[in-house]
Amino acid sequence: MSGPRNAEDRLRRLLVMLPWLMEVGEVPLADVARRYGLTEAQVQQDLELVAMCGLPPFVDEMIDVFVDDGVVFVGVPRLFTRPLRLTALEGFSLLAAGRAAMELPGADRVGALGRGLDKLAGALGEAGIDTGADDTAGVVIDLARPEVTDALVDAAASSSELRISYYTPARDELAERTIVPRHVFVESGNWYVLADDGRSGERRTFRVDRIESSSPTGSVVPAVDEVSTPPSFFVDAEVPRAVLRLRPEARWVVEQYPVDEVIERSDGSVDVRLPVSNERWLAKLLLRLGPTAEVVEPAGFDAAAELARRLLDRYART
Amino acid sequence: MAVDRVERLTNLLALLLETAEPLSLVQIAGELEGQYPDADQARRASFERDKAALRDIGVPIETEVVAGGPYAGQTRYWIDRRAYELDDLALEPDEMRALQVAVAAVHTGSGVGQDAIWKLGGALGEERPAVSASMPDRPELPLIRSAVATRSTIEFRYRGEPRRVDPWGLLLRGGFWYVIGHDHDRGEQRTFRVDRFDGGVAGIDIGEPGAYDRPVSFDPRSAFPADPKQIGHSAADGVEATIRIDAVRAAAVERELGADRVVAREPGGIVVRVPASNLPAFRSWVLGLLDHAVVLDPPEVRAHVIDWISSVAGPTTEGERS
Repeated sequence: MSGPRNAEDRLRRLLVMLPWLMEVGEVPLADVARRYGLTEAQVQQDLELVAMCGLPPFVDEMIDVFVDDGVVFVGVPRLFTRPLRLTALEGFSLLAAGRAAMELPGADRVGALGRGLDKLAGALGEAGIDTGADDTAGVVIDLARPEVTDALVDAAASSSELRISYYTPARDELAERTIVPRHVFVESGNWYVLADDGRSGERRTFRVDRIESSSPTGSVVPAVDEVSTPPSFFVDAEVPRAVLRLRPEARWVVEQYPVDEVIERSDGSVDVRLPVSNERWLAKLLLRLGPTAEVVEPAGFDAAAELARRLLDRYART
Repeated sequence: MAVDRVERLTNLLALLLETAEPLSLVQIAGELEGQYPDADQARRASFERDKAALRDIGVPIETEVVAGGPYAGQTRYWIDRRAYELDDLALEPDEMRALQVAVAAVHTGSGVGQDAIWKLGGALGEERPAVSASMPDRPELPLIRSAVATRSTIEFRYRGEPRRVDPWGLLLRGGFWYVIGHDHDRGEQRTFRVDRFDGGVAGIDIGEPGAYDRPVSFDPRSAFPADPKQIGHSAADGVEATIRIDAVRAAAVERELGADRVVAREPGGIVVRVPASNLPAFRSWVLGLLDHAVVLDPPEVRAHVIDWISSVAGPTTEGERS
């Protein structure tokens, strides 16, 4: 964490930090800072502050903690020995993350995660955060994946090189390439593999559903650098935007894609502003929307009409 | 003011946790001498701000109003330690680790999962899962989830209209959370995107528990409205269409539909039969294949698709179309 911290954030952090410190008793300041995402100076400042807290007649004695020579020491625990209970959102978020993890390739459904989630659900239920009669009733996480995904995850775990046949829509071609998968992720329902690409020599992201086939080459290529988890695609402010005017039948676009803005119009249609990562995607969307949508911006967008004319040409010949 | 706000909040928290009996604001200000302003109005304003801050981070502050005697009508405050403290979940080390890995692998765009792990005594450290997922956190979810669990009708505004819905389930699909349930005013099953509720959490009203029965064997996955990708998997009652698929997309389409949908294999691709009763879903699916799919039969479906494409192509300037 960087920048100025408000009182609530500092207190929230202290209330998880203190019980842990009381448990361990003595720990290097640097470890505390790393564990809680703070600088050493921030940890020291906050601990010195709470050490001064207290009520008559126990002022200065309620929270017996001090920092000496880069090490945090805790004396007699009196207050804040137990963490604050989970909020409803924290409980939900943890359960949902656990269930989502169960849907990921390689998940061990009956192992430690399942046991941990059961204990959590039990405790949340007792605490009044209702988790329902069984562990999935009411909350379903659908991370359905193409068949090839599991092989990609295995390859990422073992740094194995794969030969794949990959469809590139921008060039509309199916080509052979070799990749070394580094990380597999699902975002907005689509599966991707972040991999070292043999052709460009760069780390690139491939859509898993465009991999038509894959087989190991037998080579193992350890990663030379740390693999950072890919950033979210759709928060990118750099992606160009388009404005579409949608008739009521086309409103599903608002439900299915990330949109920046929806403006209701008096005739029942809406104008939506949405990120467009490439022209071809927009052309395809417009083809599906047909007469129920038109492009307001960018002016002069004609890729959809071109695509439609090419398709009509196919029909004329078939 | 001389006192750091974190210090005053910590002292207030300690006082309300330690007190043997509920305390009035005057008593609280007396105990925390010099930390709250002397003037009534300013003191009340500071205290309300602190109370809101503590509740915001999840501290359960209880209140009671004195019923009789010289202090009748006075509000008093305390914290029930049992409601404040997290129960010990007695997580085994491998269970804690598995939860940490889950939170590290499932990105929510907020630090809520990490806060939860910290409270449980864990930390997100070196886990670098080979696979990860993104899943948005929405503040509405716990509320709706609890309504689903207790069978309570919820009221909210959606697209500017009031709705009364019996929520049957929550579904995460395609990166969005949906609530699926029975819409009272429309008298049928409807699906709503949670992040499109007007007014967020504050706009949701939850009714009495046990207000409805959820249909037996309800599965949010199959209740989801026409998903073009599911087209080939639905029961084939009614119209079926024949489509020629180019070689470049043939393998993917066959994988999606299953080999039993393939009626012919040709050098240039395959021919498949799929249900087309739901024309919009069918059209959306087939056009998603761009110019790699051509509808052959039946004629009325083919004509419909050609008309649709023509509306996008704009005025024709060249040649005749069949």
